[in-house]
Amino acid sequence: MERVSVFCFLASYSLATLFEFARLRFRGGWTRALTLGWTIAGLVAHTVYLLSRSGRAELPPLLASSHDWFLVLAWIAVLLFLFLTLLDATIPLGMFVLPIVLTLVISSQFVSTAPLDFIKGDPSQVAARGWAMLHSSLLVIGMGGVLTGLILAVMYLVQHRRLKQRQTLEQGLSLPSLARLSSWNWWAVVLSFPTLTLGMAAGFMLGFAGRTPNVSTSMVLADPVVIGSGISWFVMVGFFGWLVATQRPAAKQVALLTLWACGFLVLTIFGLQVAASNSAIGSLHS
Amino acid sequence: MLQVVYCNHQTAALSVREKLAFSSEKLQQAYAQLRHRFPGAEAVVLSTCNRVEIYTAQEATEAAPTHRELVEFFADFHQVPVAEFLEEFLERTGPDAVRHLFQVTSSLDSMVLGEPQIVSQVKTAYQTAQENDACGPLTHALFQGAIRVSSRVRTETHLAEGRVSIASVAVGEFGKSIFDRFDDKRVLIIGAGEMAEETLRYLQSEGVGEIVVVNRSAERAQALAAQFERARPEPLTELDRWLGAADVIVSTTGATPPLVDLDRFRAVRKKSGGRPVFILDLGAPRDFAPEIADIDDNVFLYDIDALNSTCDRNRKTRQKEIDQALKIIDDETDRFMQEIYHRATGPIVKRLREQWHEISRDEMTKLRTKLGHLNASDLESVERSVERIVNKLLHPPLEALRQEAKAGTPHGLVDALKRLFHIRDS
Repeated sequence: MERVSVFCFLASYSLATLFEFARLRFRGGWTRALTLGWTIAGLVAHTVYLLSRSGRAELPPLLASSHDWFLVLAWIAVLLFLFLTLLDATIPLGMFVLPIVLTLVISSQFVSTAPLDFIKGDPSQVAARGWAMLHSSLLVIGMGGVLTGLILAVMYLVQHRRLKQRQTLEQGLSLPSLARLSSWNWWAVVLSFPTLTLGMAAGFMLGFAGRTPNVSTSMVLADPVVIGSGISWFVMVGFFGWLVATQRPAAKQVALLTLWACGFLVLTIFGLQVAASNSAIGSLHS
Repeated sequence: MLQVVYCNHQTAALSVREKLAFSSEKLQQAYAQLRHRFPGAEAVVLSTCNRVEIYTAQEATEAAPTHRELVEFFADFHQVPVAEFLEEFLERTGPDAVRHLFQVTSSLDSMVLGEPQIVSQVKTAYQTAQENDACGPLTHALFQGAIRVSSRVRTETHLAEGRVSIASVAVGEFGKSIFDRFDDKRVLIIGAGEMAEETLRYLQSEGVGEIVVVNRSAERAQALAAQFERARPEPLTELDRWLGAADVIVSTTGATPPLVDLDRFRAVRKKSGGRPVFILDLGAPRDFAPEIADIDDNVFLYDIDALNSTCDRNRKTRQKEIDQALKIIDDETDRFMQEIYHRATGPIVKRLREQWHEISRDEMTKLRTKLGHLNASDLESVERSVERIVNKLLHPPLEALRQEAKAGTPHGLVDALKRLFHIRDS
């Protein structure tokens, strides 16, 4: 178990991505079988790696570090990809999901692998650990929703472009209808926003519960990661409000706005995590 | 000489085909002009959304209309410069022309492989040619043969199975990528012809919620709508209202100028709230101006040519059935050509036999007078011997004629026989 590294599942997912895109050129079940085979192999290695790190840190994977948090998000994405592919093999979901998985796994190499001080510190801080668990879980679910919205928006735009340009898909491949993608996209945004909001609120609670002589409330509020996340959250507030208030919004507009809003959120949050972990900015999240 | 000049969905774009298409109203005029230009030629015009073809036949090859003459006929009739379509206009003669028609009628040449409409379109074209006195013995044989071959291909292969209508391909490839379900959709059908009926049948099987039929002839719209559940006719004057209310629009009229132009649809769109609309324009010429596709992001307009690549893809997956059908068509083409050639050599064979047997009978009569002492039995033996000699002498030239006929009408040999044995055309 100790010998399983990030490289093991990164290589597996890379090969899976390669074979998934090969479906555009080569017909036949072999490309799909190889995609699934390498993805499953990667998932096994991925699971072993997370469990191993969790065991060593004596913390759940979500709390172990930002590195683990990224990897848990990627792990959930892979699991969902496999499940949905088993439901409908004609949808080339891997072309949309696997590049995001690769980005998450690669990004995990640039963030901190050490747990936050107040989580790994005094075991008597049960409340802080509880808030941390809630904060991380809600953010993972919320970010999962945001990434789902992002993927659905891209799928919508690809499908829309195909239909407008009267192109046919390769034999054996299909994409969900615009109506379905649009509906799923709406739900992904509408469900992920409250989850992210609750996750951020839990983060504030964690800041208060985890206060130590070295960490004051003002320091929590002045944390660049908190400020940056807050700004992107406000962007999401605007988008969410528009989505809920507008009657029958144009589906392509929804997809484009999802792409911009969710893309901004993802880039901000992940970018800040990377910057904080590399001491580019001073943060409690480093 | 049998020949066909044609353009179809494989050789020419819809923008070219629609300029050369013959509407049913113009066909009578077209036949009148064909008769005037080529008085001795038989002709059949086949004009559908996927093809424009003219089949001609004439006994004397040298008098038959040339490719250039037929192209000029198209150019003059439709007022389209020859340069605009000459390269897309192909020609087939003799067995190739026969094979082409057999492939067309068997739907091998159709955009949607196995589609059944082409047979009735060919039948209608043949019937119209008959009504206009444009048919003759060769075109009768050719078109009756084509209908028989198409029936054989459908019976002996699986070509007619599966998704075999343009509507089914269009809805399967594009409609189902726009909408998730059809039971809550309103469908507007413009036109009440066979294509409209075929489309309605398919959409009904998809469970569409409501169908509105609009047609220039209210009686035909009513008759069509009466055949289907949840379908009702509406007058053509209400077209704009239904254009704005429909989720799916299928148009099959092929009217000129386009039934719905950009300004008309833009006005309709403003009132409809901009919800997604799937327009399937099956008319040739097109019923919807192509620019309508760019009005907004939720207008999805498809014409016949938009289905080309989907149909090509489907075709590749059915290559085995295509090969099987082509084999039948090759056999039938050979058989048809032999029948035609035998038909051409038949009269000369008959006259040659009659002439020689007449000579033998005359000589036998003279012989009977001279040899009166022979009894009836002896005379019968002599008569049989003479008959055998005549048959044996006839055998080599007739066998040569039969062999030559396998490769085409043996004009040279027929002329030689006529001159050698003084056979006159009766």
